[in-house]
Amino acid sequence: MGDLAPCIPYPCRDTAGSRRGRAVIQFDKVSKHYDGGHEALSQLSFTIPTGEMAFVTGHSGAGKSTLLKLLGVIERPSHGAITMDGQNLAKVRRRGIPKLRQRIGMVFQDHRLLMDRSVFANVELPLAIAGIARVERGRRVRAALEKVGLLSYERQLPATLSTGEQQRVGIARAIVGRPSLLIADEPTGNLDPQLAVEIMGLFAEFQQVGTTVLIASHDLPLIKRMRKRVVVLDHGRLVADLAAEEVL
Amino acid sequence: MDAATPPRTEPTHTRRVSSWREHHGWSAGASLRRLAARPLGSLLTIAVMGLALALPLAFYLLLGNVQQLGHALGQDQAINVFLQPDQAASQAQLLAKQLGDRSDVASVAIKTPQQGLDELAKLQGFSGALDALEQNPLPFVLMVQPKPGADAATVARLIGDLREMRSVAQVQDSGTWRQRLDALLGVGDRVVIALALMLALAALLVVGNTVRVDIASRSEEIGVLLLVGASGAFVRRPYLYAGIWYGLFSGILAALLALAIEFALSGPVARLSQAYDGKLHIGGLPAWLLLAVPPAAAALGWLGARLVSAWQLRKAA
Repeated sequence: MGDLAPCIPYPCRDTAGSRRGRAVIQFDKVSKHYDGGHEALSQLSFTIPTGEMAFVTGHSGAGKSTLLKLLGVIERPSHGAITMDGQNLAKVRRRGIPKLRQRIGMVFQDHRLLMDRSVFANVELPLAIAGIARVERGRRVRAALEKVGLLSYERQLPATLSTGEQQRVGIARAIVGRPSLLIADEPTGNLDPQLAVEIMGLFAEFQQVGTTVLIASHDLPLIKRMRKRVVVLDHGRLVADLAAEEVL
Repeated sequence: MDAATPPRTEPTHTRRVSSWREHHGWSAGASLRRLAARPLGSLLTIAVMGLALALPLAFYLLLGNVQQLGHALGQDQAINVFLQPDQAASQAQLLAKQLGDRSDVASVAIKTPQQGLDELAKLQGFSGALDALEQNPLPFVLMVQPKPGADAATVARLIGDLREMRSVAQVQDSGTWRQRLDALLGVGDRVVIALALMLALAALLVVGNTVRVDIASRSEEIGVLLLVGASGAFVRRPYLYAGIWYGLFSGILAALLALAIEFALSGPVARLSQAYDGKLHIGGLPAWLLLAVPPAAAALGWLGARLVSAWQLRKAA
């Protein structure tokens, strides 16, 4: 990735070709303190426009996962504002969280699949929650499974699949609800390099159709290979914000 | 890239309602399957709840029958007025007429000394002793029946008037023991209500604890559901149905146990009724109560599950 340049606030700019989107995500002086005084994030400010794919990287404990948890409203910031399509996530009421999460697809390193339900039922979950009709659900679940190459596995239980396949089920579940934002926390952490590239290729495809993608990863070789924007954190601070062309 | 193509389309209201109903159906079925998947644990929970709910029913049955018994016995309990031994038949009849004219008296029957002697003779062990008597020592007895519905004060006033009459030797009143029985039954009523409330609370806690354990064992699943956008109501629904099933089945068990108790008592009760010449009508639990127990228990189960799941999910959120 080359040298980690001093922090430069990332300007709003054109992405995905000539498309100019509104700022889908904006971090404005966001800090997060945990009980005991540990500061996971400090005065973090950056903007990710619609349809951009970006990586958040840094050493273990740099604040990558905390950043994604704030986006998923799993945690709340101690200070500052996080806006998504103009909505301040820090001020979303408890009752409003489910609706917000339905707009976000989340992919986890440990997949978080329901092991007693079939692959189809797992992927169907966000649609059932959103109140999509059964016929439409079936159509969209199969389309998502086809996209990740697991259509023939729809009746199987996740436990019968390999780690990579389980991760793809997790991705299918994350994208089936057509989220405006896709966040992934170390999605290739347990995968071999070849499989990791395939999974990243999937994320890139989602970005190309307009989904904003934010991936937390410490796999620098993979990040370099993808040549996307990279936000670098160190002890909760933004130390570099590299545009795709700057990633070498 | 069909699945991932924005924009999102929001489902219509009709579709949402349809999906909501579908999820209710799924939750009802899934919770029932979960109960069936661990039969021993489910049966034990249902048995504990069923017994807890059957106890107040059994007490209600017992109390109802004691009330019936007291009422039946009370019907025969006229005020017995023993006249002085020197009172002749004509005087007894005159007094009976005077008393019969009172507004607080329903009827007055005269029992002659001979009738009294005949009754005694029928009792085992008395016939020999009576043969030894040279003359009948028994007086005329007036059996005064107060007006139906007369309150305790009216009856007490009547008894007071009777005791003040010169021709009266003794007044035997059953009112005191009736008052005591009524007071005891009043206590019993309260005991049954208190017991029912306490045992309903126990049933509520049993369901609550079962659902709490169930939720704790499925915390990972709940976490996933919440992360993919499920609302509290969506996550809670299967657990609420589990509470309803526990309640419903335990209510049915309680009603069956109450019927079994009623059946077990039917033989002795029939013999007791025969001993009172069939005047004693002892009934079982009313049908409406037996039919109301399962849905009421289901509502109790729902409430227990609702309280616990709300608390547990707040912790999980």
